[in-house]
This record gives sequence, structure tokens and C-alpha cells, in this order.
Amino acid sequence: MTDKEPKQVTRREFVTSVGGVGVGAVLGGVFLKGFLLPDQVLAVPASEGYLLVDTKKCAGCSSCMLACSLVHTGETNLSTSRIQIVNDPFVAFPNGVTQEQCRQCPFPACVEACPTGAMHVDTANGNVRTVDPAKCIGCERCIGACPFSPARVQWNSEEKHAQKCDLCADAPFWSDKGGVGGKQACVEVCPMHAIAFTKNVPLQNGDAGYQVNLRKGSVVWKAIGMPDGDNGEYASTPG
Amino acid sequence: MGRRLLIGAGIAAAFVSGMVYAWRIAFVDGTELLFNSGWWLVLLAPFAGALAAGLTRRKNPVIEGDRVLRHDGAAILEHWTHGIGTAVLIVTGLALGALFIPSLLAKQQVWAVMNVHFVAVVMFLFGTFYYGVNTLLSWQRFREHLPTANAIKFTVQHYGRLLGNKKYDMPPEDKYFESEKMAYLLALVATATVIITGLLKAAAHVISIPGAVMGAATLVHDVATLGMLAFFLAHVLFAAILPMGWPMLRSMFTGYVSVEHAKAEHAGWYRRLVKPAVVPSEPKKDRNAA
Repeated sequence: MTDKEPKQVTRREFVTSVGGVGVGAVLGGVFLKGFLLPDQVLAVPASEGYLLVDTKKCAGCSSCMLACSLVHTGETNLSTSRIQIVNDPFVAFPNGVTQEQCRQCPFPACVEACPTGAMHVDTANGNVRTVDPAKCIGCERCIGACPFSPARVQWNSEEKHAQKCDLCADAPFWSDKGGVGGKQACVEVCPMHAIAFTKNVPLQNGDAGYQVNLRKGSVVWKAIGMPDGDNGEYASTPG
Repeated sequence: MGRRLLIGAGIAAAFVSGMVYAWRIAFVDGTELLFNSGWWLVLLAPFAGALAAGLTRRKNPVIEGDRVLRHDGAAILEHWTHGIGTAVLIVTGLALGALFIPSLLAKQQVWAVMNVHFVAVVMFLFGTFYYGVNTLLSWQRFREHLPTANAIKFTVQHYGRLLGNKKYDMPPEDKYFESEKMAYLLALVATATVIITGLLKAAAHVISIPGAVMGAATLVHDVATLGMLAFFLAHVLFAAILPMGWPMLRSMFTGYVSVEHAKAEHAGWYRRLVKPAVVPSEPKKDRNAA
């Protein structure tokens, strides 16, 4: 009986087997995922903070837009504001001015649409829906996916990425603490007190949950003869 | 030849169908980004390239009557899959890279162009890994691509003569011109960089990758693309547009150049083919070369 030399694996045999196992693993994995595992669903935690506005109280001064731009970018530029004030000259007072703020939707279509994970739920900052500019590829799917008009996600043409309200969680040009546990620049700066912050999830039925009456009970508002009803009517006798 | 045509037609049909599907699914239906739904193809392509290379038996260059086999079937396959993939990647990559200065694409076109980029990625990865593993199995093919000590001298001589300077003779170039070998190094570095950073960008569609890594990968990917573009333009100019490259272009379809061409343009290589014993770089332990 003679000892045979053990068969050496050649380089060709090695790379062929690596290629074969790789092809098998990928195809097997796809088969497993496609047919045997259940489909994945996008499940994200609700934001811990929301902006509420009173469009009947807004004077359209755009201070909130300038403050938003200032604390986020260091410049007062209406084009880089996350909150938007819309003036419609064909609509009569008090309905001609509206504040269009991000609603931090419980199901964020912008997050679902983002192909790279740039638009994400920031679990470290109260689950606010926000953008990681470094990951944004500029496809603007998030802007198209936002169900509201104007879209609450905007294209930042200065820095070339999508942007949206983060409740001031990342406001590098503001010394105060922002985010759900801090302040929001637009709320702080509004001279009409027409923007408010809440930790309660607003009613998800049309605009009613997010466009609220912030005039009710205001003695000053009543004293200067402004309407305090939910629909802009005089709910009580002018003082 | 019939088998080669069949494989070529099959790959071309798959590529064109993929492109049409990619465009349609994004631009007409507006629903799907292939980097999200078909990411596994990006993973599959390199392994498929490696497997195909392992199963391929290469044929070394040889003189057959009045013609010389320069490109065997594997060389033709790896060249066109890599080359066409690269061409489509550069065009779509430039369109996507210019989104901000200002955008060349409308919003919905971005999606469609990304899908076309995806199809080219799969083709490119297959071709490149097929070439890479083929090279791993036959190092002398890699060594033939590397510049020698004659690089500068031969290049000055070669192009000096082409520019009409009569004091220069055609240098005895090997299988590849020394100038091609120098450009090969640029292509090698640019391609490796594009693949590594591109795989990171593709992976970001499936797993979470830190923003800083993505930012760096995107920038490096863009710069490497410009390197590939420079190589690509020079390659197309010298190999396909200038008449001096046409015999080689024909060879990329038929596999053969004439003996006259080999003698005139690649005297060093022809000498090696005539006297294979003088080949200094043939590795003795490579059991895989045909």
C-alpha cells in the first residue's frame, strides 16, 4: 500500500467554488426572502412633538421664516425656511394668510420614499422626521411624496439637499436648546403667538388637528376687536 | 464563432431588455427604484463573473497562417461587458452628478436614469470581475499590461514617428503599447476606486451607512469617475476613431489581427509569438493557462 499525496486545490478550483457558492447564496437568499419570509412593512414611532398654527391669527410678517432660516443656516433667507407663509390676495381676511408647517406625520411618506435613508426618523431627537444631508442624493422623491401642498419638504438650493422642519433639533446657529425637549425658533419669535408646540399627537383628520384656535381666551385679542371664533367669526362680543 | 455570437446576442438582449425595463418602470410607471428592489443583482454580478471566469478555458495568442489570434472569446466578452457597462455608467453618472449645477434631468427622469445606471452597474460588475478573476488565474496577462523600463522611451519614439519625425523608428512594442500600459494604471486605480465606493453607495439602499462615510464615498466616486472618463475618451479616440486603431477594433469582434499588423505595430510581441521560448514572464506554476 502506498501513500498518495493529498490533492491540492488549484487556484482555478478555488475561484470557481467561490463564484459558485456566491451565486448560490445570493439566489438562495433571494428565494428565501421572496417566498418564505413575510413582506417587510415600514413601521416608525410617532414624533414626540408637533407644531400647531392659527392661520386666523397669523399676520403674514414672515418672522417665523426668517428665524427658521437663521437658526438653521446662519442667514435670513426666506428660501431656506422650513415653515412657509402663504399669502393669497384673493381670499378675504382672516383666511388670506396661512402658515404651512411640517406635520411630522405618524406615517411619514417622505421617509418611505427616500431611497438612501437620508430622510429618516431621528430616534435620538424625539423621533422627529429629518434629513441627513450627507446621505441626500437630490432625487427629490421626498418632496414629491409629501401629501401636502406646498410640500413640507423643500429643496435647499444653497446647500443642495432636501430639508424639512426638525423642530429645531439641529439648529447650529441658535444657542438655545431645540427639539422636542426644547424650544422652536418660529414659536419663540412669532409676534402674534400664532404658532404653538405640543407633545400630543394632533387629530389626523384634515387640517383641524394642526390648524387650531390660539385666540380663544385671549383678553388682548378680544380687547382689540379681533374675531376669536374657530372659523374666524366673532364667537364672543368684542370687548 | 457561432457560440460567440450566441453568447454575445444573449448578453446584448438581456442588457437592452434590462434598460427598457429600467426606464419603463421608473419613467412610465413611476413606481420602482431598482437599487432598492434589485439590490441582490449587484451582489450576484461579481460572483457570476468569478464563476464564469473559473469555468472559462483561455486560449493564448498564437500565429495561425497569415493572422494572429490576439483576443480569445473571453477577452472579447470581458472587454465589451466592461466597456459598454462603463460607457452607460459614465453617461448616466454624469447626468446624475450634474443634478446641482443645474440639473440636466427633470424630477422623474432622475429615477429612470438611476435605474439605467443600475442595469449598467450589473453589466459592469460582471465584466470587471470576469476580467479580474481571469487575470488572477493567469498572471502573465496582467504583467503584459504593466509598463516596463522602456515606457517613456518607446512612447516618445512611437508618437514622435506618428507625428512625422523621421529620426524615430517604430519601437518594438509588445502586445500593448507602452503608452497604453501607463494609461492602464490610471484605469486600474480609477476602476477599483469606483467599484469600492459604488458598492458602498449601493449598500446604502439596503443597510444604514453613516452619513460621513456616504459623503466621502460620493465625493471619491465622483472624482474616480472623472479618471475613468479621461481613460475612456482616450481609449475610444485611439482604438476606435483614429484609423490606426481600426485593426485592433476589428480584432475585438473577430479575435484576429493580420501578421503584417503584428509585425509592424507590435514587433516585440510578434517576436515572442514566433519564439515562445524567449518569453521571460511565463509563470511555471500556472497550471491554468490554456
